Amino acid sequence: MATPLVSIRDLRVSFHGLPALRGIDLDVAPGEAVGLVGESGCGKSVTWLAALGLLPPTATVTGSVRLGSQELLAAPPAVLDHIRGGRIAMIFQDPASALNPVKRVGVQVAEALRLHRGMQGATAAAEVLRLFDQVGIPDAKRRVHIYPHEMSGGQNQRVMIAMALAGQPELLVADEPTTALDATIQAQILDLLRRLQQETGMALVLISHDLGVVAEMCRRVCVMYAGRIVEEAPSDELFAHPRHPYTCGLLAALPDMVGPKRRLEAIPGGVPEPWNMPPGCAFAPRCRHSTAACDAAMPGFVPVGPEHAAACIHVQSAALVAA
Amino acid sequence: MSLLSLDGVSRVYSTRRGLFGRPMPVRAVDHISFSVAPGRTLGIVGESGCGKSTTGRVALGIERPSDGGVLFNGVPMPPPGTPAWRKMRARLQLVNQDPLGAMDRRLTVAAQVEEPLEIHGIGDRSERRDRVAALLRDVGLRADLAQRHPHELSGGQRQRAVLARALATDPALLVADEPVSALDVSIQAQVINMLTDLQEARGIAMLFISHDLKVVRQVSHEVAVMYLGRIVEQGDPEAIFADPLHPYSRALVSAIPVPGPRRIERVVLTGDPPNPADRPSGCAFHPRCPVAVAACAATVPDLREAADGRLVACHLVDAA
Repeated sequence: MATPLVSIRDLRVSFHGLPALRGIDLDVAPGEAVGLVGESGCGKSVTWLAALGLLPPTATVTGSVRLGSQELLAAPPAVLDHIRGGRIAMIFQDPASALNPVKRVGVQVAEALRLHRGMQGATAAAEVLRLFDQVGIPDAKRRVHIYPHEMSGGQNQRVMIAMALAGQPELLVADEPTTALDATIQAQILDLLRRLQQETGMALVLISHDLGVVAEMCRRVCVMYAGRIVEEAPSDELFAHPRHPYTCGLLAALPDMVGPKRRLEAIPGGVPEPWNMPPGCAFAPRCRHSTAACDAAMPGFVPVGPEHAAACIHVQSAALVAA
Repeated sequence: MSLLSLDGVSRVYSTRRGLFGRPMPVRAVDHISFSVAPGRTLGIVGESGCGKSTTGRVALGIERPSDGGVLFNGVPMPPPGTPAWRKMRARLQLVNQDPLGAMDRRLTVAAQVEEPLEIHGIGDRSERRDRVAALLRDVGLRADLAQRHPHELSGGQRQRAVLARALATDPALLVADEPVSALDVSIQAQVINMLTDLQEARGIAMLFISHDLKVVRQVSHEVAVMYLGRIVEQGDPEAIFADPLHPYSRALVSAIPVPGPRRIERVVLTGDPPNPADRPSGCAFHPRCPVAVAACAATVPDLREAADGRLVACHLVDAA
């Protein structure tokens, strides 16, 4: 990989002594699109909240997050203020609660322009209009003057994206950006994100529980389970030849849109509670390939192909390769 | 013989625009008809505000149709709140998206599953206790969870508990409104498998309402696509999801992100779904439709049978 834009090493987060993130290593190259998938509580959002210093003081964060040569974890608030919304922007699932309900949407985007690019008055107003056009809000001249509640969920998400673009970020972290939206609106927003990424050359980290969304948007995917990355691969490769038993299980549990109907293969049990983490591989209690060795130690990454690695000690065994 | 049938059902609400605005009629559901046979599942798909949940409430008799009729077991649905309706409600049950909201947080799981048996006066105390144990076993909840409270359960376990309660009165029809939408994929598969197993074992009819087309395909024998209160396409799920005929179904199916190459070319619609209070003339979909012609703005297309037997409401689809 070229020099990474963001480089995360052994990032660990715990809340009141209970682990939420148990050692994440992740690089994001300039301009690339990376997907983070996993189920609730796997740590996919916490990774980026921790990286940007957005967790509450009750969280203990260790490890390293570097943006270029700048270490973010120990950075003073003034530096982080400059980076957040400037070099790294983030958008969330629920745009309506991320926007200020009593401020006109145009004013909110102008505020981001003032903070991150020092724009004021007519320059800022013109730039707001340009951004609204860029994110596909029709009738921008009138829409800049309305309030979030006067817009649909899809339009609010476009405003959030315009605000994120205001700082001309090198990386956009989109945390479940379309989960609250209807299917046809989701398709619009994903198209928009893809187009903006091409136009601006920014990198994109897409956090989603939806494997389909990630497959369509990202070249590379990391699958997370119980606070760790368990498999990492180019997305075509991951969906065609998943290797970690958890990834295989997730794909088998998902109903298909085409092809013969089959009984879903549910993964038995549930994710382990943070206070009851298995000693070795966290997935072992639900895994049909698990052996005593799985409980001995946390499995390291085993390379299984070009840019493809899985954290499983059985990944080279005949049963898993065949699956 | 169908268990539930809706014939030309509409549900009109009245809303006001602003504090002093005139009351405006909103047709949440507009002239829909379908029937569900015992042991079969009708899936209803569509986006927010298309009227799919209202349809479920009308089917349960919680809402009276403004127009048209609902027959359950060949008998007209009694008005809600009447003794006849209460009696019938034991045979019709609802499972919705939010199990925590559907449960009483102060009662144990066992007490909640037993409650409908008490209300409908089924069995004596010891019979009821045995029945509760059997129900929890049927939905795959460990016996020791019976004495827990809802907040002590995971999301999947809660949804199982809600289902056990819905099954307590041995219903003939289950209205499932987004029953797995709040669950993670691996848990979702567990609950879907359990639902289809229970349906097979007990011959329950199901109205399965969801925005998730993949899940609907998995459970449904028939599917209806709704847009702004009307059914726009109805028929065999395999046929509709493989080759949607209505332009809206086409856009909806093509919008589903899938790993790997897609079979249907992506149709990205412009604009948002219109407000039901401000319905476009003619076909409600025409302002967003990529293939609309002049007739679409003028007249509402009827739901007609197309070549392969499915029903489609579009001027541009040839009738059989």
